[in-house]
Amino acid sequence: MFEVKNLTKIYDDGTVALRDISFEVADGEFLVIIGLSGSGKSTLLRCINRLIDPTEGQIIWDGVDVTAAEPTQLREIRRQIGMIFQHFNLVRRSNVITNVLAGRLGYVNPWSSLLHSFPAQDREMAMQALKRVGIVEQAHKRADELSGGQQQRVGMARALMQQPRMILADEPVASLDPVLAHSILGHLEQLNQEEKITVLCSLHYLDLVQRYATRVIGLRGGQIVYRGSREDIRRMTDEEFKEIYGEEAVRVSVGPQEGGAA
Amino acid sequence: MATRTTQQKSRPSLVSPPVAGVASLVLPGLGQVLALQVQRGLLLLGSMVTSVGLFAWRVNLLASQEVGAIAKLTRAIDRQPGFAVSTLVALVAAWLWIAWDAYQQAQPGRQGGIGVFALVLVLFFALGWQISEINLYKAVTELADAWRPLSRVIWPWAAAVERDIETISASADILSPCDDAPPPPPPEEVPGEPYLVADPTCGDLATRDENLKEVLGTTLTLVGRGFAPNTETQIVWADPLGNEFRMRKEGGYITLQTDDQGAFEFEVTMPYRLIPPSSEGRQIHRIEARQVSAVGAPKPSVTLRNNIEKMVETIVLGMMATIFGIVFAIPVSFLAARNLMSGSPITMALYFVTRTILNIIRSIEPLIWAILAITVVGLGPFAGIIALTVHSIAALGKLYSEAIESIDPGPIEAIQATGATRLQTIMYAVVPQMIPPFVSFSIYRWDINVRMSTIIGLVGGGGIGFLLTQYIRLLDYRSAGIAVWFIAITVATLDYVSSDIRQRFV
Repeated sequence: MFEVKNLTKIYDDGTVALRDISFEVADGEFLVIIGLSGSGKSTLLRCINRLIDPTEGQIIWDGVDVTAAEPTQLREIRRQIGMIFQHFNLVRRSNVITNVLAGRLGYVNPWSSLLHSFPAQDREMAMQALKRVGIVEQAHKRADELSGGQQQRVGMARALMQQPRMILADEPVASLDPVLAHSILGHLEQLNQEEKITVLCSLHYLDLVQRYATRVIGLRGGQIVYRGSREDIRRMTDEEFKEIYGEEAVRVSVGPQEGGAA
Repeated sequence: MATRTTQQKSRPSLVSPPVAGVASLVLPGLGQVLALQVQRGLLLLGSMVTSVGLFAWRVNLLASQEVGAIAKLTRAIDRQPGFAVSTLVALVAAWLWIAWDAYQQAQPGRQGGIGVFALVLVLFFALGWQISEINLYKAVTELADAWRPLSRVIWPWAAAVERDIETISASADILSPCDDAPPPPPPEEVPGEPYLVADPTCGDLATRDENLKEVLGTTLTLVGRGFAPNTETQIVWADPLGNEFRMRKEGGYITLQTDDQGAFEFEVTMPYRLIPPSSEGRQIHRIEARQVSAVGAPKPSVTLRNNIEKMVETIVLGMMATIFGIVFAIPVSFLAARNLMSGSPITMALYFVTRTILNIIRSIEPLIWAILAITVVGLGPFAGIIALTVHSIAALGKLYSEAIESIDPGPIEAIQATGATRLQTIMYAVVPQMIPPFVSFSIYRWDINVRMSTIIGLVGGGGIGFLLTQYIRLLDYRSAGIAVWFIAITVATLDYVSSDIRQRFV
């Protein structure tokens, strides 16, 4: 059970990124956050593991107040939350296996890890993670030699190394073509269904939302303007869509599967 | 497009074209200003004032003796007709063209051409040619005279080897002046040894009379035996103080050839020597016949060994300066990185102070730092190391800090999100991004430092430059040539190696 209560984020320059956001996520949900660029999706996701410290409000996860966590406690919380990014955020000049092993940093001895020394079972686990996302043969290439889709798989493998109970995905497919988008989201869905990992994912394309989300919230100007279940989103009307995305929004059909319904 | 041009020309001229032309004839640029082409007018006015001023200055320099502008100008034309006439013509042409340009500008719908500026540029070029004393004629005609030293620099390797010298010599003592006591006896002849006898064994040195006319010294007959046959032989005079000099006759050094038996007979007059007026007593001079020949296999010369020694010193100097530079530049670069220091006003102030100091240090050339360092630690490579280190810290500090500023924050947040500690985040997200630019910049700086260390010796900062200046001042062009070759080879090698390493890292 994951709960966000009255979350507000005001940046130093006065920009209000989030205003009084409250929602709940049950374990094992695939929650999709939709909204325009600048609507606060990225800020919201980063507040959850406190890459960005919220100005006000609380985040409660299984009774633990994330917003009040001390540094050590915060690291313990963070290591249970995998995160994948629009631009993958790999260390481009390190090789793939090092990038994946970095996912274990919250678990291993902090001192020996500085010398890039990891336990053998972690290395084995890293190969398993790469096998799972289907790029095990790229393990010893430099990260920047890989294509975009492959890099996002490395990002997923890194998140898997954390043995996460929750995954935050910040527009994970916005830099990828539609086919790759379905492949990456398919992996996420698989994790969500098979291992009951809660997924919080921000997406742009309504088609993808309709295909993968079990629940949706829509942000606009830092506020929640839409809440919907899986059924709601499948029935979503153009009016509701425009309320989130503004008057000029046009539906874009993506990919071959379940095109723009409604 | 044409319509847009006319639209841009929104403000019409204040005066009619002829008035503008006349205005610019009176004061260049005035017409353009009146035509509301203010910038153009001021630019042309400034150019003309500068050109006329420079021309007046150079004419005055050429004819500083003359009084009055016309006289000066005439004299200047007389001395340097090419410069004076062409610049004068160009000045007048520019003046007229500016007036014509004003006439054009004042017409409705006209846009500025750039022809007038081209003419102004030509004018500046002509003035610059004269002011910087460019003299192609001299460069060509005097090349022939410079060819001898230049050829030695270009191919200096004759000075790189030398052979042992073997000297065969014999000497005889000469008393000056003759007195009542018996003159020094002729040396004893030992069979098989070289032997020289002078007759007489006393005499007067050459002197000058009251009219400063030379009075020749006593003529001595030299007889030599037991020298190497058919070999060039030098005659050397040594005064009682032991100062030696090769004797001359009719302007040239005396060289004679021994006969088949290794003997010779020769006449010399006693040379002119400045004897201190206070000197007293008998003066025993010495005359010596000397045969010098190279023997044995060629071996590296002292010059070559000195050059190698100093080249090694140079490379080490550059290396040490780079190492010190890196060590100090890394902490400094953190202070000079905006993204790290933007946290609070205090750190921001520190950032600006650091940046300013780095900029000042960097704008002072290493040669000047070397001169300053020499005043502290004296001549030698240490001064050079200090100079290059100081400059390297500033240069690397800036480059490093820019590398830190351009770091991608994405990986940092990704590693933070895994629950990594601060140190782990630096090790896994920051360091991998920093190493390539750091290595690249450091090697580049090493390259620069070795190149600089070759010339830092010019001011006494150690290294091969020190040797090079000495050789040039001694007019020892072959040895200087070896130094130049060494520098060229080292710099070229390093250039290749450093670019190769940098390519691998970036």
